[in-house]
Formats: sequence, C-alpha cells, structure tokens
Amino acid sequence: MTHAQPACTAAAAAALLALSAAATAAPPAPEAAYTAMSAEELADYLIFEAGGFDLDAETQDGGTARERMTQDRTQKVCSAIARSGKDLDRATAAKISALADETIEFPEDGVALGDWQRGEEIARSGFGYRIGHRVDDHDSRTPGGNCYACHQLDPNEIAYGTVGPSLTGYGRLRGTSEAMLKHTYQILYNPNLFFPCTTMPRFGHHGTLTQQQIADVMAYLLDPESPVNQEPAQTAEAESAAAD
Amino acid sequence: MTCAGARPCSQWRTYHNDDTTVRREGELPVIKTTTTAAAPAAILYIPLSVVLSASALADDLRAPEDVLQELIDNNESAYLTQSEQNIMMMPDNAALWTAEEGKALFEEARGPNNKSLETCDLGKGPGVVEGVYVELPRFFDDTGRVMDLESRLAYCMTSIQGFSPEDPEVKQRHGSDSDMMKLQTYIASRSSGLPWNPPMDHPLEQAMRDAGEVLFYRRAGTSDFSCATCHSNTGKRIRASVLPNINEPHEWTKAISWPAYRVGHQQVRSSHHRIRGCYWQMRQPQSIPGSDAAIALMSYWTDAARGEPAILPDKKR
Ligand code: HEC
Ligand code: HEC
Repeated sequence: MTHAQPACTAAAAAALLALSAAATAAPPAPEAAYTAMSAEELADYLIFEAGGFDLDAETQDGGTARERMTQDRTQKVCSAIARSGKDLDRATAAKISALADETIEFPEDGVALGDWQRGEEIARSGFGYRIGHRVDDHDSRTPGGNCYACHQLDPNEIAYGTVGPSLTGYGRLRGTSEAMLKHTYQILYNPNLFFPCTTMPRFGHHGTLTQQQIADVMAYLLDPESPVNQEPAQTAEAESAAAD
Repeated sequence: MTCAGARPCSQWRTYHNDDTTVRREGELPVIKTTTTAAAPAAILYIPLSVVLSASALADDLRAPEDVLQELIDNNESAYLTQSEQNIMMMPDNAALWTAEEGKALFEEARGPNNKSLETCDLGKGPGVVEGVYVELPRFFDDTGRVMDLESRLAYCMTSIQGFSPEDPEVKQRHGSDSDMMKLQTYIASRSSGLPWNPPMDHPLEQAMRDAGEVLFYRRAGTSDFSCATCHSNTGKRIRASVLPNINEPHEWTKAISWPAYRVGHQQVRSSHHRIRGCYWQMRQPQSIPGSDAAIALMSYWTDAARGEPAILPDKKR
C-alpha cells in the first residue's frame, strides 16, 4: 500500500492555531486558523490534528488508523473530481488508469480460476477490516469481498445492491478465454484500470483479497458450474430437486 | 419504560415485540381501519397528542408522520417509501416517549449547581427550544466555535449545571436511557416540520460546512469509500437498503432526521451514532463525538437538506 505524505499545510495551520492559543488563555478560538485554510486543508487539519478520529487505533493490517485515513494519489484525485460534480476529463482518466496499470501484480503461475464455492462465501461476506467501536477479528474469520453489497450475482439472491452493475450470467455471457480471465483479474486487483475513479474497491491493490481469494471469486463469476451462470429457473429447479 | 400514560398498554407491547404486527388483518383495529393512504396520521396522532397534551405542539410544528407523508405525496422516492411498516407505525414511535423524558430532564434542577437547562442558549436565546435544532450546527459567541446539538448540550450541562465531562450524565451518549439521547430527542422534536436552516453568516460556519463537504467526498482506507460512494445516487441499494441521496433534499431531510428510533436496535439513536456507524462500514477510524470533524460533516449534511422540513423524531430501520 502506498501513502502520500501528510499535508504540510496542516502542520502550518497547527502552528497558527498554537499561536492564537498562546495569545489567549481561554480555549483557542479557531476562527483565524480555520478561515485561513482552504476547505481541503481544514478537512485534513480536522482529521489529523484536531482530534476528529481515533487515529492511534491499530488496524488488522498491522498499521494504525492514521494510515487508513491518509489518502493515496488515486483517492485524492478521485475525491476532488467527485466533489466538483464534473465528469472525469480524459487526461486525468488516463493518469488514474496508468497508475493502476503500473501497480497490478499477476500471480506467478498465471491467472487461473479457483473454487467457486469458496468464491461465493467471499462474495457474500461483508466481514473484515472494520475498526472503531467493533473491530473485526481476522483470526476468527477470513475477510470477505462484500460483492453483494453492490452487485447482483446469483439470480436467486434477492438481497443484492445496485451500486454496481448486475453480474448475473457474467461467465455465461462472456466466456472463459484467457483474455477474459486476465481482464477479470485486473478488475478485481484494481478496477481503475478500466473504470478510472470507479466506486469499486481495489481488492488486490489494498491486499484485502489475497491472490487465492481473487481466483476463487473469479471462479464464482466465470465457472460454468457457478450459480452466477445458471438460468434463474434452472437454479430453482435444481434446488427443489436437491431438497427432494 | 413503564406502561403508563394515556396510551393503551397492550398497544405498546405489541409495538415493542413485533414491529410488523400492524400489517396483519384485524389485530389492531384502530390502526387498521384508519390507515388508509389518505389520512392515517391525523387520526393516529390522537393518542399521543393526548399523552403530550402538557406540551402541546406550537402552531408551526407538525407531527413527524404528517411531515413524512407530505414528502412522500410530493416526491417519487424509493428511499422515503422503503419501509411500509415504519411509516404506519410512526405515530407510535417510542422516541416520542424519549422526548417527553427529555423535557422533564431539561426542566429539572440537576447537577452540582442544582440548575435546570432553562438558561441554556441553544442558539435562539436562553431556554428557547422551539426551532433551534433545524438551525444547528451554528457559531456560538461564548465558545467561539461552531457547535452541534450534542456538543452544545454537553457545554450547558458542564457550564450551567456543573457536571464534569466524565459524569455519566454528560459522557453516556448512546441509548434511549441516556440523558443525552433524552435531551436531544426532546429538543429536536421541537423542530418537527420546520425547514432545515443552518446559519451561514459567520465565516466559521461557512468554513466548517465547506470542510464537511470535503469530508463527505473524501475517499480513503482499504475500501476506497467516501460517504458519496453510497449517498450520491438516487434509488441505489446496498444489499436490501435503499440509500438516501444527499443531492435530493427531499430524501436527505429524512436521512438526517435524528434522533430516530431504530427498530433494528430497539433504541433511539443520534446523528453522531449514524456517523460512527457509516465510518465503521467504510473501514475508516472511529469518529469522535463533538469533534470539529464530526460537526463539520453535520454542517454540510444539514445544509444539504436546507429548506426541507425535518421529521422529528424519526423512525428508521
Ligand atoms: C462499493 C461497491 C462495489 C463493490 C463492493 C464491488 N463492486 Fe464491482 N463494480 C462496482 C461498480 C460501480 C462497477 C462499475 C464500474 C464503473 O463503471 O465504475 C463495478 C464493476 C465490476 C465488474 C466489471 C463489470 C463489467 O461490466 O465489466 C466486475 C467483474 C466486478 N465489479 C466484480 C466485483 C466483485 C467480484 C466484487 C467483490 C469482490 C465487487 N465487484 C465488489 C462497484 C462495486
Ligand atoms: C458502503 C456504503 C456506505 C457508505 C460509504 C456510507 N454509508 Fe451512510 N448508510 C449506508 C447504509 C446501507 C445506510 C442505511 C442503513 C440501514 O438502513 O440500516 C446508511 C445510512 C445513512 C444515513 C441515515 C439514513 C437512514 O435512512 O437511516 C445517513 C445520514 C448516512 N448514512 C450518512 C453517511 C455519511 C455521512 C457517510 C460518510 C461518513 C456515509 N453515510 C457513508 C451506507 C453507506
């Protein structure tokens, strides 16, 4: 994981605040300091210097909450674009995409499909990486990918999100060519390659899914046996047959 | 909560045990026969207005169920209409009791100084409660800061009543039984139906609102989430929940109408409890109540609902 340097402007602002605090004994009036900063600087200051968050908490990935809050380049650029309400311009899109391309690491033995059943568990599970008042204990359970929060997958599952497109029939419609496997791996590793500033998380980039887990989720998406690639009626029939 | 007051106890228990009961034919004839699409609220409101008679709502305040119904009637929104049983049970909102308890607490002489909160200035002068909540967060001269309701209450409880910040009265922030939730719910309920109108005249109010906007769109962490990831589209779902869109004030007013009774938690919850929950879902650090970061976020989200009527107290999933 790469992290940008904390903004030095926040440090400058802190110095300003310290000055005004020294001048008056009462609790520091933040007016001068706050209004001297840009909105971005003030936001960073409120997060990193003004006690907005419990930043010293440890995280599951062996770091601190402070690192979680520190933006990398992709996060920073994509946040500013979203806030502006403007469409992503071509040049920026190309940069974000190139940044993704540079950092994608492929498995040594090539991209292959894993086990769709394990992949299904990963797709359903929203467990993992949550910190704060209830910390997910990764020793008790493996973190998931939470794909159902945003995507439809198994056509028989009704509790699916719609933040992302439906992936029902993903493998049935697109096949399992080597090119398709590579394409899907790249999306799971860092979807910004094809969808710059997408809301989909960078599972491989952040290491929130291991290469084995990515292979398993890919099987859930692409394996002809996976429920994702069954016709809805067929799956229902198969289920009732199995229940008999 | 004891089974007292004008409301029939059986109805109270039914509500508490099974929130979906009203949907069954014949079980609660009063509710069933009166809840036609046209005029459920006025009739259902009677039992509670009896309970609340000592503190009858002023003319410009409106029952939360009426406010919600009007929003639903005037707008097409899958978010506003997603929970039919919550809408039907609005008049029987347990948070209304919490508000009544808060009223008693507000008026009671308490703390080392044995004072009530009736000299607490929530933005419109000492003791004024009506209409203050829809104009928070705001800048306060006496502290030189922009404050939200929760931090302002903590300030009044310490400076007027003499509580220490470590006393449970001030420190305990969550749960229907906490003083903080009771007081917040009371004060907020006295803004029901009024349009959100947080002041932006002071430079700090504007600066905090703008920083809050940055925070709302700020992506970070292992999932690259920002609030906007989930709250800047209309009609999108996370799993089975329809998400409110901050760019649609008629949706966002319900989103920020806290305190609300959360059926899933069986507790009245605050704005900050919601913020904490969403940061947790985002895999980002725990937000600190009363921090300027949390207040900035609230300044932005309140500004985003400007002009739309508040639904207070609300009832949510
Ligand atoms: C926070 C929401 C979110 C989560 C969680 C999420 N995705 Fe996505 N996903 C999206 C969005 C949005 C897109 C569309 C890309 C775009 O246009 O931004 C997408 C696109 C995709 C695509 C490409 C679809 C196409 O048409 O080419 C695949 C494949 C995919 N996601 C798989 C997954 C899998 C597998 C998981 C779980 C490990 C997952 N996603 C988790 C939001 C999400
Ligand atoms: C990954 C998606 C996601 C992100 C990111 C997110 N939220 Fe939420 N938010 C939700 C969901 C889901 C609900 C509804 C919870 C429920 O129905 O139980 C919700 C509820 C809310 C509500 C109350 C609406 C209601 O009807 O209960 C507010 C206000 C809110 N979020 C604000 C925020 C803010 C502010 C942030 C950023 C700090 C944020 N959210 C980030 C998913 C998200």
